Amino acid sequence: MKALAAKWGLWGGYLAVLLLLPQVFDSILAISIFNQMAIAIVFALSYNMLLGQGGMLSFGHAVYFGLGGFLAVHVLRLMEFEAVYFSIALIPLIGGLTGLLAGIFAGSFSTRKAGTVFAMISLGIGELVAASSLIFTGFFGGEAGVSGDRTFGPPLFGMDFFSDTDVYYLAVFWVFVSTLFMYLFTRTPAGRMANAVRDNPERAEFIGYSARWVRFISFCAAGTFAGVAGGLFALNYEFLTDENLNLVTSGRVLLMAYIGGLGFFIGPIIGAIILTLMNFLLSNYTELFLLYLGILFVLTVLFLPRGFAGFIMMHQTAWLRGRLHGLALPYLLTGLPALLFILSAVCLLELSHASEPVLHFLGLSLARDSTLSWAGLVLGAGLGAFLTARSTPRLRRAWEAANAPETRVGRERAS
Amino acid sequence: MSILSLRGLRKNFGATEIIRGVDLGIEDGEKHAIIGPNGAGKSTLFHLISGRYAPSAGAIEFKGQSLANLPPHRINRLGIARSFQVTNIFPRLSVFENIRCALLWPSGYRYSFWRLLDREAGLNRETGQVLEKIGLAGRAEIPAGEIAYSEQRALELGMAIAGGAELILLDEPVAGMSHSEADKAVELIRRVTEGKTLIMVEHDMNIVFELADRISVLVYGEVIASGAPAEIRANAQVQEAYLGEALSDA
Amino acid sequence: MPEVLVFATLNGLVTGLLLFMLASGLTVIFSMMGVLNFAHASFYMLGAYFAYSISLYFGYWTGLILAPLIVGVLGALVERYGLRRVHQHGHVAELVFTFGLAFLIEEAVQFFWGQDTKNYQTPDLLDFPLFTLFGQEFSAYRGFMLAISIGIFIGLYQVLTRSRVGLIIQAAISHPHMVANLGHNVPLIFTAVFGIGTALAGLAGVIAGPVLTTFPGMALVLGSIVFVIVVIGGLGSLPGALIASLLIGLLQSYAIAANVGMPELLELLGLEFPRSHPLDDLWTLNLAQIAPILPFLLLVLVLIFRPTGLMGKREQ
Repeated sequence: MKALAAKWGLWGGYLAVLLLLPQVFDSILAISIFNQMAIAIVFALSYNMLLGQGGMLSFGHAVYFGLGGFLAVHVLRLMEFEAVYFSIALIPLIGGLTGLLAGIFAGSFSTRKAGTVFAMISLGIGELVAASSLIFTGFFGGEAGVSGDRTFGPPLFGMDFFSDTDVYYLAVFWVFVSTLFMYLFTRTPAGRMANAVRDNPERAEFIGYSARWVRFISFCAAGTFAGVAGGLFALNYEFLTDENLNLVTSGRVLLMAYIGGLGFFIGPIIGAIILTLMNFLLSNYTELFLLYLGILFVLTVLFLPRGFAGFIMMHQTAWLRGRLHGLALPYLLTGLPALLFILSAVCLLELSHASEPVLHFLGLSLARDSTLSWAGLVLGAGLGAFLTARSTPRLRRAWEAANAPETRVGRERAS
Repeated sequence: MSILSLRGLRKNFGATEIIRGVDLGIEDGEKHAIIGPNGAGKSTLFHLISGRYAPSAGAIEFKGQSLANLPPHRINRLGIARSFQVTNIFPRLSVFENIRCALLWPSGYRYSFWRLLDREAGLNRETGQVLEKIGLAGRAEIPAGEIAYSEQRALELGMAIAGGAELILLDEPVAGMSHSEADKAVELIRRVTEGKTLIMVEHDMNIVFELADRISVLVYGEVIASGAPAEIRANAQVQEAYLGEALSDA
Repeated sequence: MPEVLVFATLNGLVTGLLLFMLASGLTVIFSMMGVLNFAHASFYMLGAYFAYSISLYFGYWTGLILAPLIVGVLGALVERYGLRRVHQHGHVAELVFTFGLAFLIEEAVQFFWGQDTKNYQTPDLLDFPLFTLFGQEFSAYRGFMLAISIGIFIGLYQVLTRSRVGLIIQAAISHPHMVANLGHNVPLIFTAVFGIGTALAGLAGVIAGPVLTTFPGMALVLGSIVFVIVVIGGLGSLPGALIASLLIGLLQSYAIAANVGMPELLELLGLEFPRSHPLDDLWTLNLAQIAPILPFLLLVLVLIFRPTGLMGKREQ
C-alpha cells in the first residue's frame, strides 16, 4: 500500500510540477524554454526505449521525429486552407501515427540484429531520408522547410493557440500521457522482454520469444513517441526543415539520453532538462556552446557511463546505510578546486576566442592583450587542477568507507 | 512411443563433421544421460535439438513433428526447454524477473504490451513457487549477474523448468560445483523434473548413474552404445572407449 | 560521350582510392578491436587542417610528411586513454564514444581554425595539366593523388602479406579471439594499429584537402560514406573494402557525369505527366541529384539482403 501511495504521489507530483511551472516562471522566454523541454523529454524518452531498454543504438531516430513533424505541419496547412476540419489538440497524434508507420516500415527489416548492424542500418536510413528530404522539395520544402499556422483550428477550452502558453498546456497533456505510457510499457511482457533481449538475445529465443519481434515492437513504440514529439515540435515552432530529421537531431537525442543516463527511466528526462537549459543558458552567451557540449559528452561517456541518473543512483548504498553525510566534506574539498579549474579553463577558451579586446565574463573583465589576464587564468586553472588531484584520494577513501559492507554487529542489529 | 527421435542426424562445420549419423529414440518420461569424451559432440547434439544449429542431414522429430530448420523460439514453444553449459541468463534483470520472463510465453502472455506484469497475481505466484523450488526465494530482488555461481546454475535450471516443458535438456548442470553443491543440485533436478522427460549431458559419472534410467555413449559424433546404466557399465566397447578411465577417476 | 566516360572513370578512381585509404584503416581497426570508429573521418579532417597550417610556414611537402604523423600520434593517444577505458562497457559504449569524439573534433576544428573554408592549395610544383584529352585537362595533382593512393595500397599489401606484424594483423582479422593469445604486447599492437590507421586517414586528408576543399564539414561529408564502404565491403574484409571503395567512387562519378533522369526515361517510354503534379519531384529527378543518396541506398539494401557485406564472413 505504501509503495502504491508513493507511486501515485510521484506521478501526481510530476503532473503538478508540469502544470505549475508557467505559474512560477511566466515570462515569454521561460514558456518557450518549457515548450522545448517538453518536446525534448518525449523525444529523449522514446530514444531510451530503443537504446536503454532495448539495446538498439540508433543513429537515425530523428527520422521518426521529423516525419511526424512534417506530416503535422502539412495537416496544419490543410486546416489553414480549410481542406480538413481537425482539432489542434490531436496534431501530436498525427505525428505519432506517422512515426508508427515509418517505424513499422523501417523496423520490419532493421530489427533482425542489434549491435553494430542495427546501428549501421539506422545510420543508412537516416542519411537516406535526410538526403531525400532535400530532393523531394514538394513535401519537405527543401532547404527552406515547410511552415504552417496553428491558430486556424477550432478553439479548445477557450484556447486559440495564439500564445505559447496555450501550446504549453497542450504539450503538458501529451508529455504526461506519453511519459506514463512509456513507463507502463516497461512493466508489460513486451517491455520486460525488451530488457531480456537487450541483455541476452540468445537466451530469450530459448524461452519462446523471437528476439526480432521483441525488438520490432520496441522499435515501433519508439517511433510512435518520437513522432508525437515531432508533432509537438510542429505545433510549437510551426516550422520544420531538413535539419529536424538529419544526423544533427539524431545525435542530439543520443546525447540527451546518454548524458541523462540510459539505464534509468528518469535518466532521459534529466538529460532533456539539462541540455535544454544548457542550450538556453549558454548559447546566448558563448559561441563555443557546442564545443562545451562535445567535451561534456565525451567526459560523460568516459567517466559516467551511466549518466547523471547513474551518478545520483551511485549514492543509494551510502544513503541506505546512513553514511551520505560523510561524503559531503570530501565532495566539497574536491568539487571547489574542480570548479575553479573548469571556470578558469572556460575563461581561457573564451578569451582566446574573443573578438573584442576586452571580454566581460563571469563578472570578470579580461583583456586579450594583458599578460596579467592570461597569467591569472593559467594560474587559476593550474591551482584548481593541482588541488583537485590532491584531494581525490581523500574523496576515494571517503567513498569506500561510505560504501563498505556493514560490520557484523550492524547487520545483526538490522535483521 | 518415442517423444523425441533422431534419425541419421549429421552436422558438419566446413570439412569437419562433428555429428556423424546419430540415431536415438527417447521415451516419454525417460531420464536419459548422454556421456562421452570431450569433443564427442554432446553439446552440438543439444544445439541441434534446441535449434541453435541447423542439422546438415537427418531428421529430428518431437512428438511426430519435425524440428529441422525451426528457429529456437519455435522449438521452445513446442515444449522443449534447455539449460546451458556456460551460464546463460539475463544478468541485469533480477532473479525474480529472470524466472518470470521464462514463464511468460508458456503462460500465454506472448508479446502483449497492454497487460501490466505486477498486476498478474497468478504469474507472480507461480514465479514465487519456482523460486522456492530452486531455493532462490531469498535472492529474488538481486540482479542475476551478481549472485553466486552455484546460485546462477540453480537459476539456469529454474529457467529451463519454469515453463512446464515436457522435454528438458540440461547441459552439464553441475559443472563447476563443489561436491555438496552438486549433491544438492542432483536432488533439485530429481525433484523438478519429476514426471518429465529429461536429457542431460554430464561428465560426473556418479551423478549420471544416480539420475539416469538410460545412458547413451557418444564418441566422435556416433552413439556407440545405448542402454540401462548396468548394461553400459558392463559394455566392453564403452569400457575401452571411455568409461574405464572415467570410472577409475571417480 | 567517350570523353565523359574516360574522365568520369579517372575521377571515380581517384575518389575510390582516396576512400580506400580511409576504409582500409577503419577495416583493420574494426577487425582487430571490434570498434567501428565513427571518428575516423574526423582524423582525415585533422590531417587536412594540420597540413594546411604547416604549409603556410613550411610549404606543402613538409605538411605532407608531418601532418599524418601528428594525426597518428593523436589517434594512438585516443586509443590509449579513451577507447581502452570505454572498452569495458561494451561495443555500444565504444561506438557512442567515437561518435562523441567525431562531434568534439568538429567543434574543436571550428575553435582553432574557424568556420570558413581554408584556402589550402595544391603545390606549385604540381600545378599543371598532366595531359589533355578530348580538349579536357587532367591535372597533375589528381595524378599525384592517384600515385600516392596506389603507392599506399601496394605498401599496405606488402606489409600485410610479408611482415611479421602484418601476419599478426591478418591472423587477428580471421580469428579475432586469437588476438588474446598472441602474447603480452597485444595492447601495444592495438594502439599502434589505431595510430597507423588514423595516420593513413590523416594522409588522405592532406592530399584530398586542396581538391575537396578544407572546411569543418569535410569529415561529415566523407565520414558516412566511408562507413557505408566498410559495411558494404563486409566488415573486416580488406579486399571487400577495396572493391566497395572503387564501386562507390565510380558510381558517384558516373551518376554525376551522366545527364539522364526521370524526364529522359519517361520520354523514352512515351509517357507524359502533367507538371505541378504532387509527385512532380519524382518525375523530374535526375541521376546527378540522387548521386548523394546512392551509397546509403546501397548500404540499406546490402544490410537487408546480405548482412555480411560483399566479401565479409562475420556479421557482428
